[in-house]
Amino acid sequence: MINPQQKLRTLLLVLLVALLNAGCSNTVRENPAVRSYLDARPVDLSGSWERDYSRGDDVNLQLGRLFRKLNRTSRDQRFSNRPALIISQREASSIVALAQLAEFITRPTVLTITHGENELLVEREGDYAIVCEFYDGLAHGTETQYGTEACGWLGQQFISRLGLPDGTGISHRFTISPDAQSLHVATTVSSGTAGVPFTLNRFYTRFEPLPGEANCIETLSRKRVCTLQGTSP
Amino acid sequence: MRSASRLTKLPGLLVMTGLLGCSQLEAAESERLPIPEDQRAIAQLNISIAVFDPGVPADPASHRRLQVFPRIREVEALFLPFVLREALVESGEWGAVRVVPEPDIAAELLIYGAIVRSDGQVLELQVRAIDATGRAWLNATYKSEVTADGERQGQGDGGFDALYQSIARDLVSARAQLGEKSLKDVREVSLLRYADQLAPAAFGDYLDSDSDGSFQILRLPAQNDPMLERIERIRRVEYVVTDTVDEKFRELHSEIAATYDLWRQYRWQLAQTQHAEAQRLQNARRKAPRGSFEAMKKSYDNYKWARIEAQELEVWAQGFDNDVGASVEDLESRVAELESLIEDQYAEWGRILAQLFALETGISE
Repeated sequence: MINPQQKLRTLLLVLLVALLNAGCSNTVRENPAVRSYLDARPVDLSGSWERDYSRGDDVNLQLGRLFRKLNRTSRDQRFSNRPALIISQREASSIVALAQLAEFITRPTVLTITHGENELLVEREGDYAIVCEFYDGLAHGTETQYGTEACGWLGQQFISRLGLPDGTGISHRFTISPDAQSLHVATTVSSGTAGVPFTLNRFYTRFEPLPGEANCIETLSRKRVCTLQGTSP
Repeated sequence: MRSASRLTKLPGLLVMTGLLGCSQLEAAESERLPIPEDQRAIAQLNISIAVFDPGVPADPASHRRLQVFPRIREVEALFLPFVLREALVESGEWGAVRVVPEPDIAAELLIYGAIVRSDGQVLELQVRAIDATGRAWLNATYKSEVTADGERQGQGDGGFDALYQSIARDLVSARAQLGEKSLKDVREVSLLRYADQLAPAAFGDYLDSDSDGSFQILRLPAQNDPMLERIERIRRVEYVVTDTVDEKFRELHSEIAATYDLWRQYRWQLAQTQHAEAQRLQNARRKAPRGSFEAMKKSYDNYKWARIEAQELEVWAQGFDNDVGASVEDLESRVAELESLIEDQYAEWGRILAQLFALETGISE
């Protein structure tokens, strides 16, 4: 039995949450790089991660699987008297292009993830670092004239989604294993010309980087300044 | 290390001035440190330039988007007032021009500044100048843009010399609007406001203030008022301390000017590259068919390089901080030391002046 006081409290709580959500969604509407993550907690993915080649997708196999699935769907639809989904040569080329782009983007073999008080930084070899700033339940990505990157958390996953001006979309979904020793990154690429997105799964294993012999800091006037371990600059 | 030796002498001097009575103070001061008489022309007001408002947006989430680096803005807030100071000193139009860590409300002319934009290509400052009577001389935004690489070389101020010259000119123009009587009033009000801070019992009823912050002289102390003479002597001693603080700003300026100019140049070059890249993309014809790997990779690469450039800028910002951090920390700690010293001394001076005033007039606070 819920007494009237509890009922009122619940109602007020629901109203408060609704108001908060309304406020956040307004912000989200104003700035496409900002997302609310009130329903999730920033998961700590920090550490050094190296590609685990024994797991994950082979791009050609994944592409074959997708084509088989699409053909099966076409066949099933033909038998069920629904309009058939015909994969044109052009669409097939578009899907192959998605696969090539996914393969290109997921090339980095080492990821270095730093989780600060208000910032998650995913450094990738040979690519820009994915940066997600988070304050008061709002995750802030990046908005530039070349593309808009939104980020956020969904349950235990960290998600980064990049929208490019030509309609290409690239999303990365990071999931850490319960023992925190393995990282799964699902990269999905989509475009306006291909009817279906293409997803490539990569796995990474945690490793401890070897301690360097030198401590280095960047300076403007003297570039990189290094001192040997145990000596003062 | 001229300033360091001056600094070490100061505590002794201040303790002496605090512990001794004011009649002894005169002798002690004249033995230890020559205090110059005020022989300025009436128009040569002393100027205090307060450390600028760094203009860092309150929302930290906007810093990256706006490319505002809070630590660098804090350094600029210390550094840029000194560049303005140099422009005013070079003009030869003014008395002493000092950079002060906190606004000195009794200053003859006080300049406040806030950084609106500073990115190597554009410098925009909001500047306000108010005299001791509360009259606003200036309240304007000054903006300067560097247009060619040649213009910014070897000027030591990041290529924004015109902006500081413009402020200096406007101050002279504002002063030209005032007659000799008004300028004399400014100096007198400045001294009386200072005196009121130190000895309110003796000087509390010489000035009238309005709600808009303006001050009018109700009456003046006698020419040979011994309390006013003491106040003037104390103020000159305080100027010695202020000059020591000012010297620290000069040291900071000389220590970090080269690095700051490098930072400005990097930012300027990056802005040029970004501008050229944006132009190139606008003019580029689409070659690869939409949806092809080449087209999508091109689109991705454009974003990737824009982000790498922005992230490189963040590395430079960290590099700047690594370069100048020690100098800035040193300045901050020395200035804090001097401020605390002067605060203690103020209390002591105030107590002694109150006692003397009570002795001489029989009126106690």
